Amino acid sequence: MKVLFLLFFYLNIVYAGDATIEVIKKADSLPTLAVEDASINYNDTFKLRFFKSLVADLNVISLFNVDRHHRVVPYNDTDVLVENKDMQYVIRYKLFEDDNGAMNLNMKLLERGSEVFGKNYRVSNKDIYMFVSHAIAYDINEYMGADSVEWMKRKVIFARVVGPKKSDIIISDYTLSYQHTIIKGGFNLFPKWANRSQNAFYYTSLDSNVPTLKYVDIKTASVKSIISSDGMMICSDVSNDGNTLLLTMAKEGQPDIYTYNVKTHKYKRETTYKGIDVNAQFMSKDSIAFISSRLGYPNVFTKKLSTNEIEQIVYYGNSNSACSAHGHYIVYKARESSNAFSENTFNLHLVSTETDLIRRLTATGINEFPRFSKDGDAIIFVKNYKGQSSIGIIRLKYNKNYLFPLKSGRVQSMDW
Amino acid sequence: MKSIVLSGVVTALLVFGGCSSKEPAVDDQAVNNVEEVASAPTQEVESVATETVASEESVVSSSTNEYDMNTIESKLPTIYFAFDKYDISSEMQEKIDAAAELGKKVASNYKVKLEGNCDEWGSDEYNFALGLKRTDAVKKALIADGIDASRISMVSYGESNPVCTDHTKECWAKNRRVDFKLLP
Repeated sequence: MKVLFLLFFYLNIVYAGDATIEVIKKADSLPTLAVEDASINYNDTFKLRFFKSLVADLNVISLFNVDRHHRVVPYNDTDVLVENKDMQYVIRYKLFEDDNGAMNLNMKLLERGSEVFGKNYRVSNKDIYMFVSHAIAYDINEYMGADSVEWMKRKVIFARVVGPKKSDIIISDYTLSYQHTIIKGGFNLFPKWANRSQNAFYYTSLDSNVPTLKYVDIKTASVKSIISSDGMMICSDVSNDGNTLLLTMAKEGQPDIYTYNVKTHKYKRETTYKGIDVNAQFMSKDSIAFISSRLGYPNVFTKKLSTNEIEQIVYYGNSNSACSAHGHYIVYKARESSNAFSENTFNLHLVSTETDLIRRLTATGINEFPRFSKDGDAIIFVKNYKGQSSIGIIRLKYNKNYLFPLKSGRVQSMDW
Repeated sequence: MKSIVLSGVVTALLVFGGCSSKEPAVDDQAVNNVEEVASAPTQEVESVATETVASEESVVSSSTNEYDMNTIESKLPTIYFAFDKYDISSEMQEKIDAAAELGKKVASNYKVKLEGNCDEWGSDEYNFALGLKRTDAVKKALIADGIDASRISMVSYGESNPVCTDHTKECWAKNRRVDFKLLP
């Protein structure tokens, strides 16, 4: 009985709801992959945590049907476990602590029982184990010759509201499981990476009387003020070369989009509509997508910076209040229900400015803060559904969504 | 006094810096590639840079002054708005008129900061802009009532400064508002 109970308890842990996956479309033709754990040193809770993190990452690369059974095996056993003998691929890994207290991991990939790829990893502190798990998934993806998942290695920066007029700015991995608070205290929102290498960022400080855009160099921990505007100041996007910012400022109470040259410190007003123009995103060096209320409700428009030509992009929904762009693709957030005070559904949709493509990317709950990865391969977003907030990753090519439940707090805005 | 503590970036944040560059060969003897996922010494950004930001709380020096300011501020109204709207109803216009009277008399030595707020429906830039348009509508009404524009500053807090956090219709209505804050 005791054994049965223990087994039940164990299975419960294995199948507990965190860090799991929502698969919108099942691709049954994918090769099967099992993961075998040969770890020593660490306790069972940690071993299981690592296993789950790895399984989640391996699912996100969308190349395998990953078996979720946690099975233990000695690292040097020649054969795969009997339960896994029909699996096309098996990853076997061994976690162990070295004399310096660092966490080491040896990993090998077996195809039909033969080792085809292997690599060792080391991190100084086991608390950042998730980066090893991301690195393994990245390497397996590279080995399989699939499109790069470079975005797995990128950092996410987000603001979390912790109380009225109080927020933190946090840097994390793409699943938000590792979190480091970089700015604590005060009222600071809308963080945006300042460059591709992610060694600096901008954010809006609302602590002084005038909203101010600040710049933080992570390496030197220096903070400098960039520009202020009465009413509102948000850095909505940063150009690929890092030299031009798209700002929403409200000179004289009028929220409009401005371009700001980082080198010359000069800004230029790009929109003049008397309602609301916000959330500008670079599509190319010369064109932006943005949200405007010029039809009486928020909707997505594009503008050529050189010619002032403005075009409506979305002809669906009555409240499309946020967007992110990559080339000619735009992902936007749409309110699906017309009742402002009932259970609202906000879904993400993908449109192209060059074809008539429109694709709904989410199905339930409140889905917001979409951000394309730099290479356009994936979209990160926040999903709130049935009282649970999760970070979501959409793999556009594979038509799959993955969710990582968030532990606490409400995300105010984020950048990837 | 408000302060911003900028803390160091720990090892993990440098991990990917390490990964994206060429993989360092750590041990030539190793059978497989050994990837040093993070270099052992934690590159801790040492300084805890504390930045002091001038804020309304830190400026007030005289207790008498503060008392006056708080007393007057408590008499100033909160202006409420309809869902997704920033126009002022006649009921709210009366409140603004009364506030303008205070502004011309007992509060004539102070400046005012108008703080725009929204309900939780929409947490993006658009919501901040909506909060700002509400603030701007109140500012214009105050100017029409004879208050000098130079005495008025504005800020939008979007949905980040709620007075009520229940998920009810009544609660959302309370959050769609503009508050008056006096500045010396």
